[in-house]
Amino acid sequence: MSEKEKMKTTFSVTALEMKSVSKQFVGTLAVDRVDFDVRAGEVHALIGENGAGKSTLMKIIAGSFNDYTGDIHMGSSKVDLHTPAQSKKNGIEMIYQELSLALPLSIAENVLVGRLPKKGMFLDKEEIVTETRRCLGMVGLEHLNPMMQIEDISQHEGQLVEIAKALGNNPGILVMDEPTSALSREEVERLFTIIHNLKKNGLAIVYISHHLPEIFEVADRVTVLRDGKKIGTKDIGGVSSSELVQMMVGKSVTEFYSHTSHTQEKKRLRVEGLSRYGFFHDISFSSFEGEILGICGLSGAGRSELARVLVGLDDKDSGKVYLDEQEITLKNMGQAVANGIVYLTENRKTEGLALRLDIKENILAGLIPELTRKGIYQEGDGIQKVNNLIEELSIYPPDSSRIVGNLSGGNQQKVLLAKWMACEPKVMILDDPTRGVDIGAKMTIHQSIERLAEEGNTVILISSDLPELVSLSSRVLIMRKGRIIKEMPKVDCTEESVLLAANGEGA
Amino acid sequence: MENNKLSETTKEEIKQIDSRATSVNLFGRVMHYAGIYAVALMFLLAGIVLQSLGIINNFLTTQNMVNILDAVSMLGIVAVGMAFVTYSGQFADLSVPTTMALTGIVAVQMLQYGFLPAIIAAVLAGLLIGLINAVAIGKYKANPIIWTLAVNYVTLGVIRLVWVNKQIYPDMIAKTQRASDLFDAIYRLRFFNKIALPLILLIILVVFLNFIMKKTKYGMQLKITGSAQKAAKFTGINTEKIIGITFIICALTATLAGLTITSLSRVGAWYNGTGYDFKAVTAIVIGGMTLAGGRGSIIGVLGGVLIIGLMNNIMTLLGVGTFSQDMIRGFIFILVVGINAKSLRSMGRDDA
Repeated sequence: MSEKEKMKTTFSVTALEMKSVSKQFVGTLAVDRVDFDVRAGEVHALIGENGAGKSTLMKIIAGSFNDYTGDIHMGSSKVDLHTPAQSKKNGIEMIYQELSLALPLSIAENVLVGRLPKKGMFLDKEEIVTETRRCLGMVGLEHLNPMMQIEDISQHEGQLVEIAKALGNNPGILVMDEPTSALSREEVERLFTIIHNLKKNGLAIVYISHHLPEIFEVADRVTVLRDGKKIGTKDIGGVSSSELVQMMVGKSVTEFYSHTSHTQEKKRLRVEGLSRYGFFHDISFSSFEGEILGICGLSGAGRSELARVLVGLDDKDSGKVYLDEQEITLKNMGQAVANGIVYLTENRKTEGLALRLDIKENILAGLIPELTRKGIYQEGDGIQKVNNLIEELSIYPPDSSRIVGNLSGGNQQKVLLAKWMACEPKVMILDDPTRGVDIGAKMTIHQSIERLAEEGNTVILISSDLPELVSLSSRVLIMRKGRIIKEMPKVDCTEESVLLAANGEGA
Repeated sequence: MENNKLSETTKEEIKQIDSRATSVNLFGRVMHYAGIYAVALMFLLAGIVLQSLGIINNFLTTQNMVNILDAVSMLGIVAVGMAFVTYSGQFADLSVPTTMALTGIVAVQMLQYGFLPAIIAAVLAGLLIGLINAVAIGKYKANPIIWTLAVNYVTLGVIRLVWVNKQIYPDMIAKTQRASDLFDAIYRLRFFNKIALPLILLIILVVFLNFIMKKTKYGMQLKITGSAQKAAKFTGINTEKIIGITFIICALTATLAGLTITSLSRVGAWYNGTGYDFKAVTAIVIGGMTLAGGRGSIIGVLGGVLIIGLMNNIMTLLGVGTFSQDMIRGFIFILVVGINAKSLRSMGRDDA
C-alpha cells in the first residue's frame, strides 16, 4: 500500500461518533440532540459563540458527566464515557484552555503523571528522562531539560508540555479547547505545524475555537453549534467566513452592527498616566458622556487589572484619575460606588453574585446605604426598582424572591447587571458582560447597555467577544502587554482589524 | 423574549426545579423559626413524660425551670454574640473561654478600686481581645479557627503568668463591702424573686442583636458578606470592617458572660469559661445557623440554647455524668452539621 493510499484509508476511519447526544443542566438544555463525529487523521473544528455548548460537548467527550443522553460509538462498538477514566481508557485526551500543569513540579513529573516508570519500588530516573524526552520530542521541545520546573518555562512552552503530556498516553483522539488563546502569532504557527504532523500520523483532533481565521488554517471540517443545537457541519473548503458567522449568530452580520455613534462633548472619566507596576503602564484616555468605550486585548493584556484600579479594588502606583474633571482618589470600591463608578466583574459566580441569596437581595446589594434611613434598612423602598429591572431585563422567572443560584447563567448575568443598573452609576465598567450567556440574554443585555449610554452615562466595555465589542463601542482602545497601543474609531473597527491590533500586528 | 424561546420541556423542567426550591425554602423557614422551638418543646415534653413515668424527679417544678433558664443564660449570652461570627462566614471564635476568664479575673483584681472601675476594666480587656481578632481576621485574613485558638492560648498564658496560677476572690480583694456585694449581685440579683439579671441581659441582647442583624445596614451587608464574601467585596461593601465588627461583638458578649460566671463562682480563675466555645457553636448550629454563613437568625440561636439547656437538665436529672454529657453533645453537633450539609447538597449546593 502506497503512502498516499494509507493516508486515505486512515482518513476515512471514524474515530468517534456521537448520536443525538444531549446534556441537561438545571434550567437549560446545554447540548440538545447533537450529532458529531471525528475521523482519524482530520482536524474537526467545533465553533460557536460563548454559551453555544462547545465546552459542554467537549466535557461529555472527556467523561465529565455521567448523565448525558444519546449514544457514543468508537470504532464499531458503543462506549460509555461516564468518568474521565473511561475516556482516557478509550484513548481520548484533553487539552484545556487553562493549563492544568502543577507549577512546583518538574516537566517530567507533569508529563508522566500517573505513569512514572519504576524500578522495583523506586522511581527509574533514567527511564523518566528518556520517556519525557520522547514525549517532548513530539511537540518539538526536545531541547528542554525534563527536570526543569514548570514555573520556570514560558506559557507557550507550558501549552506544548501539556500537549506532550496528552500525547504520551498514545491517544486516538485529542481534544483541544482554544489552544491558541494565550499564544503569540509565531507560537500559533509552530503549534499548527505540530497539529499538522499529528494529523498525518492518524490522530483525530477536535479543535474548539471561536477564532475564525484560525479555523480556516487548521481545520478540515467545521461544526457550528448555537444554543446547544448543531447548526451544521461543513467541509472547510466549501464554506466562507461570513457564512460561518451567520451560522454562529443566527442572523446576518449587518444586523449586529446596529449601534449609533455618540456625540462626544463632556468628558466623564479621564485617566492620565495610570500605572500598576507589573500589570499595566502609563495608561491615558478620556471617555465621554453617553459613550460606550471599548477596551480590547488578549488575556493578560491588563484590561481587568486596569478596571480593578479604576474602581479602587487595587491600588495604583502612579497616575491620576478625573471624574467630571475633578481628581478622585479611591481607597476602596465602596468609595467608587458612592462616586457613581461601578464595575461588573467577569467572574459572575465567585465575585459577582451571592448565589445563595435571592434576586432582590442581590440587586439591592449595592444600594444598602441609600436604602437605610435613621439606621433602619428599608428593603420595601427598593422593591419597585427591582421589579422594573426584572421587567426591563426580562429576568426569568420574574419573581424577586428566587434564589439566584437556581437561575440559568444568562439570567444570573442579568441579575448582576441589574445590581449595577439599580445604583444608577455615572460610569459603568463592564468586564465581559455576556460571558457564557445565550444569545437571547446577550441581546437583552446589549439593549440595556445601549440604553444606559443613551441616558448620558459612560460605559467602558471590556470584552473578548469581538462582534460585541465592535458593534457596541464608539471607539475601541487596544491593549497589549499592559499598554494602550492603539485607539480605533468606530469606522475602522472590524473584528479582524481589532484582533490583528491586539496581536500586535496590522496597520 | 427569551421566555418564548424556552422549549416546552425546558419550561416543565424549570417548573419542577421551582417547586423543589420552594418546598425546600418552606421547610427551611419552618425549621429556622418554628422548628427549633418545636424541638425545644419536644425536649420539654420528654422531660414531663420521664417525670410521669417516675424515672426522673422534680423536672416540672418552678425551681427547676428557673434553674434551666439560669443555666442557659450565660451560654445564651456567649452564643448570640458568637452567632455574628458564624453568620459572617468565619465559623467560630475559639478565644471565648479565656476572654471570659480574663475579663472575670481583671474585674476581680480591679474591685479594689470599686465596682464601676472593675466593670470598665473588664470591658476594656474584652474589647482588646476583640480588636486583636478583628484586625487579624478582618484585615489580615487570618484563618479564624487557627487564629482565635492561638489567641485563646496566649490569653491563657497571660492570665497564668500575671496571676502566677493563683485564683483570686472578690470578697478578699474588694476594699468595700458595697463593691463586693455589687459584684456578687451580677449573677444573684433577681427581679420578682425569680428572674435573674443574666436572663434579662440575654433577652435584651436577643432583641437588640436580632434587630442589628435583620433590620440595619450593617446587618444587610453582613448577610451578603456571610453568603458570598468575594461578591460582597466586589459590590463595594467593606467586608474587612464588617467581619472585624463581628469579633468585637463576640468579645463583648463574652465579657458579659465572663463577669457573670465570675460572679457566680465568686472566684477569678483561668478556668472560668472552659467549654463555652464548643457549647456555643453547638447551640448556634442547632439553632439553624449553618457554618457556611449568611443563614439563620438570633431567635433561632436562642432556640438552640434552650434545647441545650433542657437536654443538659434532663441528662443531669437522669444521672448522666459530665463526660458522657460532653460526648452526647459532640454527637449531636456532628449529626446536625451532617444533616445540614446533606440537605444543602440535595438542593444542589455543596457549600456547607
